[in-house]
Amino acid sequence: MEGHQRNLHLYDRFNARVVGVSRNDVNTLKFWSDELELTFPILSNPVGHIGMWFGAQPPGYPMFSRKTVIIDRQGIIRYMRNGTPDFHDILQTLKKLNAEEVKS
Amino acid sequence: MMRLLLLAMVVLLLGACAAPSPTTVDPLAALRRADGTVVWQEEYAFHSPPAPWALVSLDEDDYSIAFAKECSEYFPCQSTMAYAEEPFGYSKDFEKRAPEFFKRFLWASRVVFGEPRLEPATFDGKPALVARVEGKERVKGQKVSAKVVFARRGERVVGFYYTQWRPEQIAYDPVDEQAFDAFVDSFKFVKPSFYEQL
Repeated sequence: MEGHQRNLHLYDRFNARVVGVSRNDVNTLKFWSDELELTFPILSNPVGHIGMWFGAQPPGYPMFSRKTVIIDRQGIIRYMRNGTPDFHDILQTLKKLNAEEVKS
Repeated sequence: MMRLLLLAMVVLLLGACAAPSPTTVDPLAALRRADGTVVWQEEYAFHSPPAPWALVSLDEDDYSIAFAKECSEYFPCQSTMAYAEEPFGYSKDFEKRAPEFFKRFLWASRVVFGEPRLEPATFDGKPALVARVEGKERVKGQKVSAKVVFARRGERVVGFYYTQWRPEQIAYDPVDEQAFDAFVDSFKFVKPSFYEQL
């Protein structure tokens, strides 16, 4: 999350917004977000359906596994990656998508 | 069968006698230029610290690099130095970045750190910030001296770390910090970073 915070100005440049999603409750996330001084939204999804939609909910495990998903303006998933975010990859994808949008 | 067993035993005994001779392999040899500098991932060049400093990891996807030096006179007796492309924290301002960084630096070690002492410096002709801090682990009777240099690559903050671990009653060895300073002084960016070219 700290890495996303570090790149917020670059996400702005490519007309992208970031949100985090977690199964933790709102109070826990608020404390955690304050501690890391995050300025982008973290969504609380205790029942876990968002993680299920994106395949980030391992069976029998009460937490989401780490996953990065990029969704374009039309709601189409354009990028998915499990594990630690690859910020070079993410930024290059956003740059490409932004260029496509500017062109169209 | 007995003859076969005997032969196998002899081979094993001979094998045990032939102690492997110590070989010094320089893992950075392929990356070393004629003037002794190492060029890492075509991103930056530096003079690696002299033996017994040893490379900690050589992961091709990793944009950071680290070296460690250990001794066995007492425990802990270890120094580390590293360059990090993405140090903890996110602010571009050094004064803001330092407290963000120290919120997470060595967080799993249970060391209680004092207040970092900040000192303006320069790196590669640009403003930098040096932070020095000491931490103590009272239960185990250990201490660590750390020095962090916050520098700039393009608009982003990068960091050089140095730590030296010692038992609480043992004095720090200044030689290791000198090796760290020489490493930082020798460090040069070979090309603009990914972020500068984005």
